[in-house]
Amino acid sequence: MTLAVGSNLIADLLSGPRPAEWEALRGEAEARLEGRELPTAADEDWKYTDLKALTASTFGPAPRATVDIAGHLLPEMVGTRQVFVNGHHAPHASCASAVPAGVRYFPMSHASEACHTLGSIGKGGAKGLFEDLNTARFEDGAVILVPKNLKVALPLHLLFITKAEAPLAVFPRLLVILERGAELELVEEHHGEGPYLSCPVVEVHVAEGAILRHERVQRESPEAYHLGTLRAEVGRGGQYHSRTLSFGARLSRQQPWVRLAEGAEASLDGLALLEGTQVADTHSFLHHAEPGASSHQLHKCIVDGKARAIFNGQILVAKGAQGTDAQQQSRNLLLSEAARVDTKPQLEIYADDVKCSHGAAVGQLDPEELFYLQSRGMNADDARNLLTYGFAADVLTHIPVASLRRALRQLVMARTQATSLGDLG
Amino acid sequence: MLSIKNLTASINGTPVLKGIDLEIKAGEIHAIMGPNGSGKSTLGKVLVGHPAYEVTGGEVLYEGRNLFEMAADERARAGLFMGFQHPIEVPGVSNAAFLRLAYNKKAEAEGRDELDPLEFDDFIHEKIKLVAMKESFLDRSLNEGFSGGEKKRNEILQMAVLEPKLAILDELDSGLDIDALRVLGDAVNKLQRPDRALLIITHFPRILETIQPQFVHVLSGGRILKSAGKELALELEDRGYDWVLEEAAAGGAR
Repeated sequence: MTLAVGSNLIADLLSGPRPAEWEALRGEAEARLEGRELPTAADEDWKYTDLKALTASTFGPAPRATVDIAGHLLPEMVGTRQVFVNGHHAPHASCASAVPAGVRYFPMSHASEACHTLGSIGKGGAKGLFEDLNTARFEDGAVILVPKNLKVALPLHLLFITKAEAPLAVFPRLLVILERGAELELVEEHHGEGPYLSCPVVEVHVAEGAILRHERVQRESPEAYHLGTLRAEVGRGGQYHSRTLSFGARLSRQQPWVRLAEGAEASLDGLALLEGTQVADTHSFLHHAEPGASSHQLHKCIVDGKARAIFNGQILVAKGAQGTDAQQQSRNLLLSEAARVDTKPQLEIYADDVKCSHGAAVGQLDPEELFYLQSRGMNADDARNLLTYGFAADVLTHIPVASLRRALRQLVMARTQATSLGDLG
Repeated sequence: MLSIKNLTASINGTPVLKGIDLEIKAGEIHAIMGPNGSGKSTLGKVLVGHPAYEVTGGEVLYEGRNLFEMAADERARAGLFMGFQHPIEVPGVSNAAFLRLAYNKKAEAEGRDELDPLEFDDFIHEKIKLVAMKESFLDRSLNEGFSGGEKKRNEILQMAVLEPKLAILDELDSGLDIDALRVLGDAVNKLQRPDRALLIITHFPRILETIQPQFVHVLSGGRILKSAGKELALELEDRGYDWVLEEAAAGGAR
């Protein structure tokens, strides 16, 4: 008799002691995990993303570690950062002195049980395997609470850094609550080195009329697995704008789940830059639960080598959600013969007065665009590299934090061989 | 400067140019006019090396060099330029960065100094005045979301930055209002010098009031049917194209 694939992984991850606090929440998650197995290709949701490689390693608990964060600091956000290393809060690397009074911004380990909001989104509904694993085992994370009508001028910076010598597992957790009319910009970065499994869970509450702009940067180590969940609930007339940029990890999966109340707005943009044998999967779920909400989704992938990108964009327009405006675009650039993209829009519409559109394109660079650049004196290689750069940089154009935008453009330039073209500011 | 002899070209196997002869000397302004679908744009695109067209015969010498032995980018660096009727949008690449890159590629080819972003900033600010472009267009992605007129303005800005020896302007007036046309026409005139030449491709004679050609050619069915001085443009404005076509048909029947 053979053991079911993955049965060890989940058991191993749960074998350590249950961290303190949130007993009830963790207990429920553990109960749901009872008997669960790693999904396989037979599971429609995981058809193209093979998790078998995960079972080859035993991911131990993550020890405390120190890292040099100098290279990760951004000038606009030196006084607004919380740093987590291997899932533990790093107080000496953190500095929140510039955060305005009134904003509550602290490590989850300092939060009390009173933080009853945790785990409340989608309560009773289906939870993802890795979401439940996080809930059962997260050590720490950040809590951000912006009170009513406070517009925070400085962006907040969250750094989740993992340093692994032997395979380890981390479960970063983030809870963001914007009260009515509050506004915030948030930059969430994931970096690391060595072999590890990171299963972050982000929960976002945007109350009526509040606005959150959320930049998410995934630059995990090339040996890492990143299996993330995001849940956002956007109140009446609220706005949630996120941009998820995936550069690292051998395998990554982003599962944003967003529910929009009446008149709410959301944008869920994404960029994945893949090479070698990287796999990046995005499974998004946008729920237009009430009338008059709008959503905009632009997901771009550049896939080189034998890498593989997966996009599954589900949009649910509930009965009665009249006046819904939902736009989804999946655009993919294949740079090699062996690169592969699987993209699938999935629209379920139960209201009749809606404006929904979706489009998916997979291909090479447009010969007309190449010619246009060549007709201005650029040779074929430069033209190709500039267009590839532009394809990706398009997603970065509206990042509000200038130093982050610059740093990511540099990264994209390096990955698209556009560095020789000089400053593309 | 440019010598075209019995040029034939096709797209997807369909002949579009059926034997073009044309001589353009430094200092001259030529206009190619003709009905829609006559092959005017094709001629321009063939000259600048658009990959969709296949040159099937004839010869083109540009400053004594065989044009068809030069790649499109090489032609551009050698001073050939085409302002397109429908310029392409390139998201993610700022107009300023693109213009500087194009400028520097040409400067490099000509052995001149390249400009760093600060130097280029000064340089480009002079140039945008020439075409009356708003500064904000420099920071936007190349042509992305530009109106038809703004795209044309940007084409002439590129021309001003690259200072080509031979500029081919395809339907410059389409999408332009009268004022914008005058501004861009004046800009093109200012860029014209005794060592440079212009080839204006247009369906309507209107633009030729601002940019006045010495030579007007009527192209139809892939052939130049008639060549004359600028008075031909006025005649075409009055009488349309049919009489030229009829005259040519009669001539052909003789």
